[in-house]
Amino acid sequence: MLAVFLLYTSIAGGTPQLRPSQLEGRTAEVTIVGKVLGPVSGDARRAGLRFRLQDVEGDAKSAIRVVYKGSVPDMFRAGRDISLKGRLQGAVFVGAPGTLVTKCPSKYSAKKS
Amino acid sequence: MAELGRAALLVALGALAFSSLVGGFAAWSGRRRLVLAARNALVAAFGASLVASAVLVVALASRDFSFEYVAKTSSRDLPLLYAVSSFWGGQEGSLLLWLLLLTGFSTTAVALNRRLRIELLAWVVPVLATIALFFAALLVFLESPFQLQAAPADGAGLNPSLQNPYMLIHPVLLYLGFVGMSVPFAFAVAGLLARRTDEWWVVATRRWMLAAWLFLGVGQLLGARWAYLEIGWGGYYGWDPVENAALMPWLIATAYLHSIMVQEKKGMLRVWNVLLVILAFELSIFGTLLTRSGLIESVHAFAMSPIGAWFVAFLTLTTIASLALVFARLPILRTQTKLESPVSREATFLYNNLLLVAFCLTILWGVIYPLISEAVLGEPITVSQPYYNFFLRAFGLPLLLLMGIGPLIAWRRASLRSLGRTFIWPFGGALATGVILVAAGAGSSPAGLIAYTFSAFVMGAILLEFVRGTRARAALSGRSTAASLLSLISLNRRRYGGYVVHSAVVLLAVGVAGSSAYQTVREARLLPGDTLAAADYRLRFERLADRQAANHKRRRAILSVERQGQAAGTLEPGKNVYPVSERQPLFSTEVAVRTNWLRGEDLYVVADQINPDGSVDLTVYVKPLVNLIWIGGFVFILGSLIALWPDAREQRRLALRYGEAPVAITA
Repeated sequence: MLAVFLLYTSIAGGTPQLRPSQLEGRTAEVTIVGKVLGPVSGDARRAGLRFRLQDVEGDAKSAIRVVYKGSVPDMFRAGRDISLKGRLQGAVFVGAPGTLVTKCPSKYSAKKS
Repeated sequence: MAELGRAALLVALGALAFSSLVGGFAAWSGRRRLVLAARNALVAAFGASLVASAVLVVALASRDFSFEYVAKTSSRDLPLLYAVSSFWGGQEGSLLLWLLLLTGFSTTAVALNRRLRIELLAWVVPVLATIALFFAALLVFLESPFQLQAAPADGAGLNPSLQNPYMLIHPVLLYLGFVGMSVPFAFAVAGLLARRTDEWWVVATRRWMLAAWLFLGVGQLLGARWAYLEIGWGGYYGWDPVENAALMPWLIATAYLHSIMVQEKKGMLRVWNVLLVILAFELSIFGTLLTRSGLIESVHAFAMSPIGAWFVAFLTLTTIASLALVFARLPILRTQTKLESPVSREATFLYNNLLLVAFCLTILWGVIYPLISEAVLGEPITVSQPYYNFFLRAFGLPLLLLMGIGPLIAWRRASLRSLGRTFIWPFGGALATGVILVAAGAGSSPAGLIAYTFSAFVMGAILLEFVRGTRARAALSGRSTAASLLSLISLNRRRYGGYVVHSAVVLLAVGVAGSSAYQTVREARLLPGDTLAAADYRLRFERLADRQAANHKRRRAILSVERQGQAAGTLEPGKNVYPVSERQPLFSTEVAVRTNWLRGEDLYVVADQINPDGSVDLTVYVKPLVNLIWIGGFVFILGSLIALWPDAREQRRLALRYGEAPVAITA
């Protein structure tokens, strides 16, 4: 019973999490996870911060254009992995304010290959 | 140096393997000398872990960058204290800390319980050794902190946002909590293995669980305080998987600390308590996995780090093995006592347990939902704040109410008439509070209003308990009120310590409700001379100021503050700039907070962005009552310490009941 309830809530309240390359044709609200591709331009408090986002393990071909208004975490910069909630509008992914999250700072140690 | 560390880890691994395998055989075959040898091997493993840890501390303190781990987590300009704290800043060091704490706890538990009957001790040792063996094996084979390299000129350094006093202690407290859960688990499993199904393990490890629960609780509060001061988003808890990792075992431990009272008093809930202690342990392992492996956040971006798979295997194996053991012992574990009435103290404990466990499982579901949805639907789906906040209200508000009802209701069966008599005062107080709050405009948030009303009810109930108890004691002894109150608390430490903890939870609830449901937020870009108003406050941006500190530069926006037209000092939010490389310096946002302790309110200012034209983007939060959360933290510690404090009378009573384990109780 609880499981059914939870399943319902999760589907009703959850957002799909996608890679930039999976975004094509998706217009509902999603969370994208990717790597920031520079240059980063614009103003997050005015017209919006503009950058591109590519698959974490992909190349620039997978990148989409992103615009984001709202507070920007200290760790945000080109090359950093981020997640951002928002919607695809035309060819640009428009981020929802306050949803830009950089990878948790406690995991700064290099990824093991 | 590194060789010494590696050798120490190998010794620990060997000693633990011996303690686990030979200890298990000894317990099974009942060979006393082997049991003692296994115990000594466990103690030796603690010694070896201490040596390995000392090597790492020395390497960190001397910035020996030939250690890969040191180069990865510290740097020359890092202050010494932070350099040493890198011990638990990275994966390998954290695993070593687990091993050190667990072998240390095991040694202490064995020493404190040295008069424990040998057939019980015989099983406690191999269970603890097996858990520690897992961590030792990870350290030796997969994640050694003693890997060497050609030393680089400088290390990569510690993330600026972690260079904060709260971060020195927060991870250690969480680990103390996580690891502490292993001891009650080991005693419970040992009891089952030895076919002892009475309460001895509950009694022997109650204080272990209480201490672990206290560490986890305080650790989370410090983490929340760190997030509040350092992340700069005005919040203190974001339902991040890493945060949930500590909350889940804490919730289960909370349920356990209540339900064991039912077992001790009525002999009920034996199976349930064993299941809770298993769940708490598995969640503490899961919590370590979540914080260390990146299993959840980066689920489709990375291959799981190598230790992740091992953790999952360990979790699965220990869960299956413990559940199989419980199943095998069910015939002797089941009790005949049944709940006599749904309106009784034990029934409220049962409801409280169901709510706490349901809440924990809901959070667990939210945490692993991306994994499940990816497996089932082919696409990870994440749930965020709305999901968790919904269930926080759905389970948290009834829990709050139960906290008021439970203490007032009698064991076994309560009559309606006695209920009416007991509840009239707290109920009246809550009703009056609700009416006053609605009149004051607090009705803007129904959840906030309910939380406040319930809080008033709980506080009323707690006060009533103290007043009634003190009066009864004063009448009996003829002493003053203060002396009677003190003796009341000292004679019933668990009970009144528990009430003090309850009042801490009320403070927390009021603080959370106040700061989230009734906060004010304003955003603006200001040039020098511009002003911004938020609630009772007016801020004027005076100028920018730069200052040089040891390893960074401080850029600050100087703001003068007025409250209700009265000057109220200056605030200096800004950014610290760490010049780790010329091209890309690291920033850390430094919020400025003005606390009004009398009102419990914070004026919380973030300089989101300092622009080239000299303007600054500010976000200003006015957070009513937020400081009750931190004050609640101190009350929480006080209450826990009262409940933890050794009680000679209790020990004598329990020694009579569990004849063979008089010392066990001091554990």
